[in-house]
Amino acid sequence: VMRLTKPTLFTNIPVTCEERDLPGNLFNQLMKDDPSTVKGAETLMLGEMLTLPQNFGNIFLGETFSSYISVHNDSNQVVKDILVKADLQTSSQRLNLSASSAAVAELKPDCCIDDVIHHEVKEIGTHILVCAVSYTTQTGEKMYFRKFFKFQVLKPLDVKTKFYNAETDEVFLEAQIQNITTSPMFMEKVSLEPSMMYNVAELNTVDTAGESESTFGARTYLQPMDTRQYLYCLKPKQEFAEKAGVIKGVTVIGKLDIVWKTNLGERGRLQTSQLQRMAPGYGDVRLSLETIPDTVNLEEPFDITCKITNCSERTMDLVLEMCNTNSIHWCGVSGRQLGKLHPSSSLHLALTLLSSVQGLQSVSGLRLTDTFLKRTYEYDDIAQVCVVSSEIKQN
Amino acid sequence: SSAKDAKSTSDEDDSRAVAQQKTQEEILFHEETIDLGGDEFESEGNETVSEDSNNFVDKLNEQMMESVIISDSPNNSEDDTGELGCLQEIVDQMEAKDNLKSQTEVDKEEFLSNESETEHEETPKDISEIGTDDQASLKEESIQEAVKEEPKLGNNVPVETKPNNIDESTPEDQILSPSTTKPSSEAEPIPVCTIFSQANNAGSQPQLFLPDGFEPQMVKSPSFSSIIETPVKSNPQVVQPSPSLSKFFGDTVNTNTLASDFFDSFTTSNFISVSNPNASSSVPEQMSSLSNGGDGSSSNPTFPVQNGRPEAGGPPSSLEITQSPKPFSQIQAVFAGNDDPFATALNMSELDRRNDAWIPSEETRNVLISVATQQYSAVFIDKENLTMPGLKFDNIQGDAVKDLMLRFLGEQAAVKRQVLNANSVEQSFVGLKQLISSKNWRAAVDLCGRLLTAHGQGYKKSGLPASHTTDSLQLWFVRLALLVKLNLFQSAEMEFEPFGNLDQPDLYYEYYPNVYPGRKGSMVPFSMRILHAELPQYLGNPQESLDRLHSMKIICAKILENLEQGLAEDGSMTNITQENRQASVQLWRSRLGRVMYSMANCLLMMKDYVLAVDAYHSVIKYYPQQEPQLLSGIGRIFLQIGDIKTAEKYFQDVEKVTHKLDGLQSQIMVLMNRAFLHLGQNNFAEAHRFFTEILRIDSSNAVANNNAAVCLLYLGKLKDSLRQLEGMVQQDPQHYLHESVLFNLTTMYELESSRSMQKKQALLEAVAVKEGDSFNTQCLKLG
Repeated sequence: VMRLTKPTLFTNIPVTCEERDLPGNLFNQLMKDDPSTVKGAETLMLGEMLTLPQNFGNIFLGETFSSYISVHNDSNQVVKDILVKADLQTSSQRLNLSASSAAVAELKPDCCIDDVIHHEVKEIGTHILVCAVSYTTQTGEKMYFRKFFKFQVLKPLDVKTKFYNAETDEVFLEAQIQNITTSPMFMEKVSLEPSMMYNVAELNTVDTAGESESTFGARTYLQPMDTRQYLYCLKPKQEFAEKAGVIKGVTVIGKLDIVWKTNLGERGRLQTSQLQRMAPGYGDVRLSLETIPDTVNLEEPFDITCKITNCSERTMDLVLEMCNTNSIHWCGVSGRQLGKLHPSSSLHLALTLLSSVQGLQSVSGLRLTDTFLKRTYEYDDIAQVCVVSSEIKQN
Repeated sequence: SSAKDAKSTSDEDDSRAVAQQKTQEEILFHEETIDLGGDEFESEGNETVSEDSNNFVDKLNEQMMESVIISDSPNNSEDDTGELGCLQEIVDQMEAKDNLKSQTEVDKEEFLSNESETEHEETPKDISEIGTDDQASLKEESIQEAVKEEPKLGNNVPVETKPNNIDESTPEDQILSPSTTKPSSEAEPIPVCTIFSQANNAGSQPQLFLPDGFEPQMVKSPSFSSIIETPVKSNPQVVQPSPSLSKFFGDTVNTNTLASDFFDSFTTSNFISVSNPNASSSVPEQMSSLSNGGDGSSSNPTFPVQNGRPEAGGPPSSLEITQSPKPFSQIQAVFAGNDDPFATALNMSELDRRNDAWIPSEETRNVLISVATQQYSAVFIDKENLTMPGLKFDNIQGDAVKDLMLRFLGEQAAVKRQVLNANSVEQSFVGLKQLISSKNWRAAVDLCGRLLTAHGQGYKKSGLPASHTTDSLQLWFVRLALLVKLNLFQSAEMEFEPFGNLDQPDLYYEYYPNVYPGRKGSMVPFSMRILHAELPQYLGNPQESLDRLHSMKIICAKILENLEQGLAEDGSMTNITQENRQASVQLWRSRLGRVMYSMANCLLMMKDYVLAVDAYHSVIKYYPQQEPQLLSGIGRIFLQIGDIKTAEKYFQDVEKVTHKLDGLQSQIMVLMNRAFLHLGQNNFAEAHRFFTEILRIDSSNAVANNNAAVCLLYLGKLKDSLRQLEGMVQQDPQHYLHESVLFNLTTMYELESSRSMQKKQALLEAVAVKEGDSFNTQCLKLG
């Protein structure tokens, strides 16, 4: 039995000299004669000669375990009815990997039965390849032997995630993927499969002149212990966005699907478990801004639009109060009735205000009172606006 | 539940002990025990929860990122519903879990620094000390598992903690298994697969050679083995050629031909530039006077050698012409019909200047200037600034092939093994070349050593003042280059050490105004600089290599700049004819290219593929004729990383480039690349088809032959694969007895049958007939 990892390319050590040196062209000639060098470019270290794997190497979760199983008749007798069975025993299950279960009628001396098995490794930890061979000798004796090959499956990647909740209902997912193997890893695909509630946009490419360019530049691979950060933007689908107020507690965002390749295209694939996010709590009533100008003139009124959503389970009867701060002055009547608001429904509210102080000002001082429960909700620092003197703006 | 936890911790110790026992058993009966060690994992999984408070800072840093469980695989992880079911619990435990996870991560990180063992010692205590929330979270984990009640899902949770155990057990395995499995393999009649059980032997074997460069067995000819020690020790002050040398030099000394036999000028440059027939007679005296003034050592060993050079001033011998036919013939072509010796001399000095040019550091330059200005009085120079090389070991000769034959095939067979050694060839450059080209590099290293000993730079002469000549440096170059070729990097480094950064004043011609009047530049061959720069990368210090290569690159670029500005190479105002300038630019461009090549190779070794690819791209600028090969090479780099798409792009570029030039070679290259691409796509059948295609065009293509055989193995055709490789080796052993081919062959023998020894020994016999003493016997895996 031999594990078939991909073969490697032979590297040679170039030693050159110049014609005027003592060995003349001797060294160069030696390198030319060496079959492992690249003809015409002998100084190139990386040759073309394939060499078989020298040891078992490491195997990682998500990779394919390939192995060559050869049963060779070392004796000088013909044996009959040979049955070769290859099982893979993991900590939880036993898998049969043999391609065929049919017995081979006879095996002559110095002949062999060959089989190449493949198995995608789905579990971490100890695996044992159990090869069982049963046969009948010429004397009719039934013989049976088993051999065990033990190996460990390691974890190739370390994935960490972080969520950001935007003011809008978007969610940004930051995922750090670290290569914890010992070889460089080419990330063929890292994608987020969103759950049914979300649409996803990958933010890992930059569009330049119509061509999307990876934010990772030309470096398409991860060195051992390198970490790469991926960013995704998730938008709730329309039908769920309407009910955004009710997305509460933990929601399933989706899962990351990672496909990588290593030496000569050895492929591996993993998925994370469902990523979950704690939706931000909005309390009973959520006030979000729909529109606001970024720059306004000093002492000139401007409009903002607010959206008020009832996130509670009950109907509310709301009263809006507007309290002026040092810089922000609300225009209009404070204490007006907004009417009844049913659970999960929202209303839009246009408000006018002006600022008496220049600079970056915070919009504060909105108060909503639920007359049913006599509960008041305060909204400060809703947004910032840049206030400039009107002369400057005209210029 | 806390009682339960406490119990599990105390159990843990026991179970660990049991586990260790088990692993040991497993190692002993490596192939017989089925032990999945499931219980080990369960119990040890708990351990990872415990954590020192030392890592609190780490924890804080980590806390923000939540670690994610990687589920088994896409096909296996349809556990979404199950997870949703217990979402609520997870929410409640989010915080606690975060702690737990960051902890396990920290633990893992620590593990990498190999501190795990000590960690575990503290474990039981820690668990009881740790706050309740950790334990609570632990409990939650187990509850979750219970909720799911699916073995598959259960795997998800411990996934994070498991790597610990795995890491822990594997090193043990690896250390112990080679030693334990082997004896059993010999004892048991059942076939044993050595490939599978981590062939550490490949790693341990090199130690035979590496540590000191000494072969365990020293093969010395009985005739002078007794003398070799004495002379060196007897009197280090009065330096004489060691008796071992004089013994076989003895005849020549008497017949007055002296050492000229083996110490004639080979570079066709040495004294021709002097071109004054009278100068030659004065050389020895001046030489010795200089050394007298310089260091006060009375008898310079090079004296007789120098003395034996009366003919050096004359026209180059026929031997020299054959040695470096090209430049010589070119020059003669340029100056065709010009018999004027003066013109020839002028031309040679032109060549000298071009080749030897080097820009010394400021410090060195000052010394050189002072030497030039005080020609007749002694110049005192710090000992540190002098190059005082010497052999670090006097005899590495040995023949690993013969040793193996003795071991496996018996004395009779071993006697048949006949290779050239340092004694069996002429003690001269001719003999040296003979040894090199017959691949007896070990013997060639020895011969270099002897010739250097004759030069006063022999064994234990390191640290003693020496004078250098073009020849001595060339000998050093050959010796060191061969050591590198033999993978004896440490030995090479040791002997390189006295040379410093190859910039000491006594390595410049200007230092010896009397010996080399008017000659400028460095005696150090450019290739030796390359060798010197490349060496550290083989000893695990590629950064140093890059530094050295960079400073070489700067000097090469500076020289090219000087040439472009109408100056001489070293920046002096010298008139150079147009064609000479052209030739010089060409030479230095190609040298710069060579430096870039080394840089690219070094970067490749460092696995900095992006920079390596850039460097190879810049090499193309200097060696445009190698463009297709280099592009293919870059493609293979990407294949190795796993970036098949980019590799394909490069291979397509190759096809575009080679499209213009047709010819066998480019055709092969295209096919080869296609085959590699299929390999990258896991399509061994197609790859095999393309390799076979190459064989149809060029049946002697070793690479295609070998690679086709490798493909066959992956296709499950062991016998066919073996047949192909064996056929290839038999057909043309001269070419195909290559390390990599033999390695593949022996690997397959091992796979094929437990009786692989016989076949390997047959290979050894084949090797013994064809290969020299430099053959790397490791590939036969006979050890």
